[in-house]
Amino acid sequence: MKKYKSLIILLMVVFVLTGCGKKNTSSSQSIVIWHDKEDAVIKVLEKHLKETVPEVEVTFEKKTGLTESLKLVGNDPSSAPDMYLFAHDKLGVYAEMGILSPLTDFITKEELSDYIPLTLSSATYKGEIYQLPLYFETLLFVYNKKYMSDEEVPKTTEELYKYMVSKTKYGHYGFVEQHSTPYYAVGWVHAFGSDYISSDGVPLFDTEEMKEALSYHKKFVSLMPGETEYATVNTLFLEGMAHTSIVGPWFVPSIKDKGIDVGFAQMPVVDSTGEPISPYCGVQGVHVIKVHAEEKKEAITKVLKALMSPQVGVDLALSTGAAPSRLSSYENEEVKNNTLVMLMRQTAESAAPMPNIPELDPIFVVAGNLLTDINMSGMDIDEAAEKAQKKALELIGNMR
Amino acid sequence: MNKKNLRKKTLIAYAASAPALILIASIVVFPIIYTLYISLTNMNTYHWFNYEIIGLKNYQRALTVFDSGFFSALLTTILWTVVNIVIQLIIAFIVANLLNSPLIKHQKRLYETILMFPWAMPGYVSILLWKTGMFNTQFGLLNNWVQKLGFESQRWLSSDVSAFICCTVVNLWLALPFMIMIMDGGLKSIDKCLYESATIDGAGKFKQAMVVTIPCLKPIIGPSVVITIFTTFKTFDVIYLMVLQTGAQTGAHIQTIITYAYENAFITNNYGYSSAISIIIFIMLIAFSFVTSRRKNDDA
Repeated sequence: MKKYKSLIILLMVVFVLTGCGKKNTSSSQSIVIWHDKEDAVIKVLEKHLKETVPEVEVTFEKKTGLTESLKLVGNDPSSAPDMYLFAHDKLGVYAEMGILSPLTDFITKEELSDYIPLTLSSATYKGEIYQLPLYFETLLFVYNKKYMSDEEVPKTTEELYKYMVSKTKYGHYGFVEQHSTPYYAVGWVHAFGSDYISSDGVPLFDTEEMKEALSYHKKFVSLMPGETEYATVNTLFLEGMAHTSIVGPWFVPSIKDKGIDVGFAQMPVVDSTGEPISPYCGVQGVHVIKVHAEEKKEAITKVLKALMSPQVGVDLALSTGAAPSRLSSYENEEVKNNTLVMLMRQTAESAAPMPNIPELDPIFVVAGNLLTDINMSGMDIDEAAEKAQKKALELIGNMR
Repeated sequence: MNKKNLRKKTLIAYAASAPALILIASIVVFPIIYTLYISLTNMNTYHWFNYEIIGLKNYQRALTVFDSGFFSALLTTILWTVVNIVIQLIIAFIVANLLNSPLIKHQKRLYETILMFPWAMPGYVSILLWKTGMFNTQFGLLNNWVQKLGFESQRWLSSDVSAFICCTVVNLWLALPFMIMIMDGGLKSIDKCLYESATIDGAGKFKQAMVVTIPCLKPIIGPSVVITIFTTFKTFDVIYLMVLQTGAQTGAHIQTIITYAYENAFITNNYGYSSAISIIIFIMLIAFSFVTSRRKNDDA
């Protein structure tokens, strides 16, 4: 018995010391793709790849901590994947780290001419395209038809405010959103012509436009719940306690499962600027990891070309409600008639692509603090904006 | 015993403990040495794999983090540690005594199991359950009760003081099982004759606690208290998840030194700089440890 115990302990030590993670030791005709997507998306891609490139063995591996894992093993040939499927906003970080291969190593720029320009510009960092866009998503204005008729849908933010004033009572809210979360609040900032950061990495927290946007937004926040997190805001809508909201497409299945008669509408236009609330647009697509790029060039090229098929976009749109990145996918009649997909495309056209520069990580933390300071702690806007600008500059400086 | 035999025995002893020493070295010592090494390099987003040694430059810059914000966080951390440890010791002492009471002789095991429950749950889950289940403005149990009593809903986590109290409650929930278990074990090990002698000498329950229980418990719970002080001092999860998590902030501005360092260094992806800050905090904790152990020795 003692011997067995010793053997078990020895084996445990060996496992701990050698690591028991799965290694990427596959052949040149097999591709490993890391992702963090829902099953519906992966099923579409798997099915399509099996049909079009059966000679390449493609394995999709779901990783919950994908972004951090890539930082750790991105250049390790034994652990890094060959490709990964993720939003475009992290590609600047990985490009700077030197773990990505430009897409043009496998396909020509001309072959990408059918893609919506917004998706291609999102996939580009310092002049190089690093992502093959598959679909894109943005936030949508949703309303519960039990409380708000199609005719009542606010066209402007002042109409929305009037609705909020009249309906926010007895535990009900006219409108809720994750008001102090940077990703959600940025739509208001864009409507005033500002952003958290410029394309060349300069923070914009102390601009007049930003302060004006924050001040105007606060008027609406005062009629929203004192919580900003995802679970509370979305539960209020699902439980019928919030009449309208701004949500991502990933939340739509939950609304439908709940049996809510839901309507989708264009974002309201801010009266004073004439611009709609314009959230960020996120482009989901595949990226090629440099470490295996040379050795598996043929297989990677085949997979990329297979994923470029307009049919992939069509299947994704019809099964998940995602908006395809290829223009020709929209020629399909079923896609054309899909209200959600078409609205997503329309909204995304006025949306701003989420920046893909490495400075975004600290900027989001600063923006979150700024929004909380103003909306939840009642800090003076000028003071909070000045503090945020100083902190953002300091953190960006500390990145190098 | 001759010298040869002694050397042989020593070698056998080292050989026997070698696997444990290797394991400790690989999971405790190696990360510290590696962090020290990284702190001397320029490892960041722009030099992720091609980093090089840059000397003490990161330490020079790291000192800028130790500004007024850091010192305010340090004071909060000290207050947090003192409050939590004092309350923990008092509650654990009372509960452990109750567990040893003859009145609950038959239900003792049941109570012990229930009291261990918070310890069995992952901290992350417990913290988020408290945050959404108890303190949430809309759906939390506390506001449910408050409303039923006819009062207005409260934002429990929005101001510094109330958020500090709420975080303390959650930390106590997480930490008490350990302290209760240690105290319970300590109480069981006290010789019953001492209580009998004290009773004969006319000491009441309070007097017995003061002259028998507490002095006998001190050396037994000492190491556990030191461990708990360190764990409490470097708290991150409770404060961060309750009030600071990006996308779920509540409006309170409580910062411990670890959350402050996280918000000012780690999010920059500058591992060289962040490692320098970690090493400085590590040195502070080691210094604190020396002071504590010295006092402990003096007391002994």
